[in-house]
Amino acid sequence: MDYSRPDLADRLAADYVAGTLRGPARRRLEALLPAHPVLRRAVHDWQDRLAPLTASIAPQTPPAMVWSRIEARIGGAAPAAARQRWWQQLVVWQGFTAVAGVAVLSLAVLLGSPGEPAAPIIVVLNAATPPAAQAGAGAGGVVNASFVASISADGRALVTRPLSNVAVQADRALELWSVPASGAPRSLGLISADAATVVKRNKVLAGTAALAVSLEPAGGSTTGAPSGPVLYVGKLSL
Amino acid sequence: MALPRAEWSDRSQELAQLLGRAGLGDRAAFATLYQRSSPHLFAVILRINRDQAQAEDILQEVYVNVWRAAAGFDAAQSQPMTWLTSIARNRAIDSLRRAGAQPRLDSGHAMDDEDNNVYDQTADEAPGPLELLSQAADARQLQHCMAALSAPQRQSLALAYYDGLSHAEVAEKMDQPLGTVKSWVRRALLALKSCLEHAAVADRATSPRAKT
Repeated sequence: MDYSRPDLADRLAADYVAGTLRGPARRRLEALLPAHPVLRRAVHDWQDRLAPLTASIAPQTPPAMVWSRIEARIGGAAPAAARQRWWQQLVVWQGFTAVAGVAVLSLAVLLGSPGEPAAPIIVVLNAATPPAAQAGAGAGGVVNASFVASISADGRALVTRPLSNVAVQADRALELWSVPASGAPRSLGLISADAATVVKRNKVLAGTAALAVSLEPAGGSTTGAPSGPVLYVGKLSL
Repeated sequence: MALPRAEWSDRSQELAQLLGRAGLGDRAAFATLYQRSSPHLFAVILRINRDQAQAEDILQEVYVNVWRAAAGFDAAQSQPMTWLTSIARNRAIDSLRRAGAQPRLDSGHAMDDEDNNVYDQTADEAPGPLELLSQAADARQLQHCMAALSAPQRQSLALAYYDGLSHAEVAEKMDQPLGTVKSWVRRALLALKSCLEHAAVADRATSPRAKT
């Protein structure tokens, strides 16, 4: 079957979202979604159309126990079972920095003990989610790639550079974030998808545990938090 | 198709922001997101799978998944509540499959009176599917568009969408041939789509924003 045919995609998507597509057919469609943008778009559109119907269902507060069980599963209580957050998984950058011959610097040096000649810190930002999961999220036409960010030793400037060509749709932009160990991320501004970008801040590194790049509407997120998928992330190790 | 972000409700904006932070590993934001959204999702799940214990398990799975997938949420593609609701609905529908063909239909409801609306006969105190449809319709153009559907179209769509009934289950409940019910649901969806699209065009034509 040709799932890129809009009429067919629309029909399947409607049945899927309405809930009447069942059994093996339902599973088959779910398996097809990551690879079929037309189908995915059709499903999105039907969800938009029908989801407001649920607004009138009287809310029911679930028992408190449900949240306790969720909390236990997403971290804290059972770290072995819970998947590590993406930026904790990135061992890759360590190899990269070793190759680059970058010394490990102490936080004190970074935050500006003057006079000490110090090498910049290199952070490699890798794809935040496995390609399959990303396809499901409809990542706006971005090709899998990674960024490298180098931060000057005094912590006042940061340069990002794509390691391979990143294609971004004309109406989307990439935004760089400083992610603290806890609390809200801080925007470091928009970065170029195909060239180096220099970011100057008083304290690029203050409280930064990781850098992340999200896909945003042109002009960037308007909310102070990433509003699009987080595409790349790299942990800072000092 | 998707509503421009500038036109989202405050609630949507807040949820999108919480999701964005949860995607970066912020547990406090995720906890707030749960508080704000779980009563709605739990109710949606319970409509489809009325087994309380199973519904709680489904809700748990949904939020564990939301935590893992939050980084992939794209506010340019969908509103947060639409995204969350879709995840919950899918899980709930899948749970019906796993539970086998366990019929959740109120058996023995004879339809002796044709004018009698079977959807308002639901014994429990929860609003019947039809009532839910008309309330939700207030939120958007949906009311106008739902009103344009024929009664059987509306009823079959309500049973399928709210209660998660398959075509065969809707047919059984409405005591109608399977093919008839399939075509009611199909035509209801098509009519809704075309009506909403016309409404959106009309809306754009009258809105000053359209000039930009």
